[in-house]
Amino acid sequence: MTVLSEHILEEIRDLPSKFPQPRSAVMPALDLAQEELGHLTPEAMTEVAHELQLDPGYVEGVATFYTLFHLAPTGKHRFYVCTNLSCMLRGADDVVARLKSEIGVHEPGEVSKDGLFSYEEVECLGACEYAPMCRVDHAYHYDLTPDSIARLVAERRNGGSAVAAPKKARAPRKRKADA
Amino acid sequence: MTIDGQSVTVPPGTLIVEAAKNVGVEIPVFCYHHKLDPVGACRLCLVDIAPGPPRPQTACTTPVAPNMVIKTQSAMAVQARAEILEFELVNHPLDCPVCDKGGECPLQDFTFRHGYPTSRIDGPRLHFKKPIPLSANIALDRERCVLCYRCTRYYDEIAWEQELTTGQRGVQSFITSQFDQPLTSIFSGNIIDLCPVGALTSRVWRFESRPWDMTQTGSVCSKCAVGCSVTLWQRRGQLVRVTSRENDDIDEGWICDRGRFDYTDVNDPKRLRVPVVKGAGSTWNTAIDALAAGIKGKGPKLGISLPQDLTNEEAFLFRRLLDGPLKGAKVKMHGRTALPEPDPNQLLIKEIDDARVIVVVASDTEKDVPVVNLRIKKAVSKRGAQLIVVHPDGVDLDRNPHTVHVRNAAGSAAAEVEKLASHELLKSPGGPVAILFGDGHGSEDAADLAAACAELASKVGGKVMPLYRATNERGALDAGVAGWDKLDGVQALLSWGPPPTAGIPSSVKFLATWDHLQRPDHSRAAVVLPATTFAEQQGSYTNLEGRVQFLRPPIPVAEPLKESWEVLTELAVALGLELGYTGIFAVQRDAAQTLPGLADLAEPPSPTPVPTPVLIGPAHP
Repeated sequence: MTVLSEHILEEIRDLPSKFPQPRSAVMPALDLAQEELGHLTPEAMTEVAHELQLDPGYVEGVATFYTLFHLAPTGKHRFYVCTNLSCMLRGADDVVARLKSEIGVHEPGEVSKDGLFSYEEVECLGACEYAPMCRVDHAYHYDLTPDSIARLVAERRNGGSAVAAPKKARAPRKRKADA
Repeated sequence: MTIDGQSVTVPPGTLIVEAAKNVGVEIPVFCYHHKLDPVGACRLCLVDIAPGPPRPQTACTTPVAPNMVIKTQSAMAVQARAEILEFELVNHPLDCPVCDKGGECPLQDFTFRHGYPTSRIDGPRLHFKKPIPLSANIALDRERCVLCYRCTRYYDEIAWEQELTTGQRGVQSFITSQFDQPLTSIFSGNIIDLCPVGALTSRVWRFESRPWDMTQTGSVCSKCAVGCSVTLWQRRGQLVRVTSRENDDIDEGWICDRGRFDYTDVNDPKRLRVPVVKGAGSTWNTAIDALAAGIKGKGPKLGISLPQDLTNEEAFLFRRLLDGPLKGAKVKMHGRTALPEPDPNQLLIKEIDDARVIVVVASDTEKDVPVVNLRIKKAVSKRGAQLIVVHPDGVDLDRNPHTVHVRNAAGSAAAEVEKLASHELLKSPGGPVAILFGDGHGSEDAADLAAACAELASKVGGKVMPLYRATNERGALDAGVAGWDKLDGVQALLSWGPPPTAGIPSSVKFLATWDHLQRPDHSRAAVVLPATTFAEQQGSYTNLEGRVQFLRPPIPVAEPLKESWEVLTELAVALGLELGYTGIFAVQRDAAQTLPGLADLAEPPSPTPVPTPVLIGPAHP
């Protein structure tokens, strides 16, 4: 009995043919495993290694290198809140404080009591013009305020949709040539 | 090219760090090791290269070019190395007084020679739990680690395993075993020799002694037929450590864990020291007379069990006894294969390097001949050889996904080898073919298989290598004592070395043994003679490629122990055969003249060569 379901293993087996070096498939494969299990267990990593004909130790090394691979249980909904420069200047601190009190945790990586939520503070996710921002369930959410992050939590707690909020239209950036 | 004003000529492609060794200029390195691919991780080898960018460059990744001018002592290079060393020491605990590496530690030496005399670091250091047992034999201290990745690269490149890996990233990186499980590889011990700091240390030799308190001799490993070169370290009559000794013809500086850690029996406080006759301590004369009386004139009712690490000298003396007073006795050698005597023009271990196709038949080389297994891996991964394995089960060499594995039914290897002649890889191999074959631990007909392999070799242009397992099987074959007889039904048994693996037959009425450890079987023995071990006795082994190598024991034979040649000579006298040997050289000279296979014994063992001073600490040439 494998910890990963058969269709995931099937998908992992198909991955190496898409890369010049078969072992390049290790990251998408780990991604699939994490999607299914929520986090990567030694058993899951061993199964991934087995499917890709790699050593489990190599897979473990890759998994521990990247912060977006989780080796401990996380909440069902993971909030990745950017606390890098732009977001911090525009109030990411307050957003994180509100998020912590909303889901009832004290530090990054801690799972809320109902098992639904956890959060990480991350470095730049590449959306500085919409700071402060976060990523939840594969969608970006922009121009956060403490209230809007509380709303995101409430939506998920009530089983609401995980659809990205629409981007607000912005004035086009001034290019150097225009100045 | 010029290094520090000395001009030097080297082949194109040579790395600067290697070229500098030719003129005796020390360029300090942690991550660079001449058997591993260069990586440039530690940055300690920074030198000033002209022509080139006006900043220090790594000598370990830069190949030489004509008319290059290298300065290791320019102000820029000296400062660069000192600052790198300062970085290496940012998180180092400086616990040298309690570190086993102290005294042979490149980090100590380089800091002394290239670093700043005082530290400017006063911030908090990274802390880890320590020491972490990586296996029963190896301890890991992550605080001392300088992250040169020699150990993980060795595992990946040389041993083809990845149970040792790097966890986390950047400044938080640390060495870890796969899921914190103990290391299982038979090649794990080499990372201790490779580690340039005290991060990986032996748990068997933990807090035992300082390097300057020990004496060392360059000897030969006694655990299998490969015959790796090892250094035996002695302190106060104890064998305290075994390390590798680089010999590019055989082991290239790697040894397996059997050779490295399996030596503590030499120091067993319960070692037998005096002869015992019928349960009571005795003198050698009485004991040898009792032994001679028990085995004299028994003919085929006498059985002789020989150990796998029988020396050539012992083998020759047994030959003399079996030709004379013990004629007709049944002889059984421990752990030997059924392989016949080899072709004189057989493959040498170093020739595996040049093979384009390697065929391994009926042997899991990892278990049978571990260091030959590493040689095969090197030929495949570093020199692009193709690999064909014929074995019923999965073997270690399958770790390479390109290995062609022919799974034969047990006993049909010879037939499979005949079919291989038309294999696509062997149609035009493009160079020499190396064919290595074992006996499948008895499941194959060794004579058939040897014939099939020889035929294949002549068809495709290659050489064969029979993979003997017992340490001195070749020498025993040459002396004609590598017996294969069943010992059932013998009335008297002389067990030379450990008792027969199948147990002592119930028919035995008189049991005599020469052994270094107490064993339960000895309660039945009429005569127990105390034995010397590979760390005390002189002698030689013939390895599986036919190379005669001499033991250089680090520990003197302590009275009343006697060397084996002396005991056997005295036994011969007691049996009525006057041999008249007064020393082991006389035995060796006689053996060389009498037995063509042992002709190499005539070359007297040269005295231990004075080791050439190495610039990078004794264990890390």
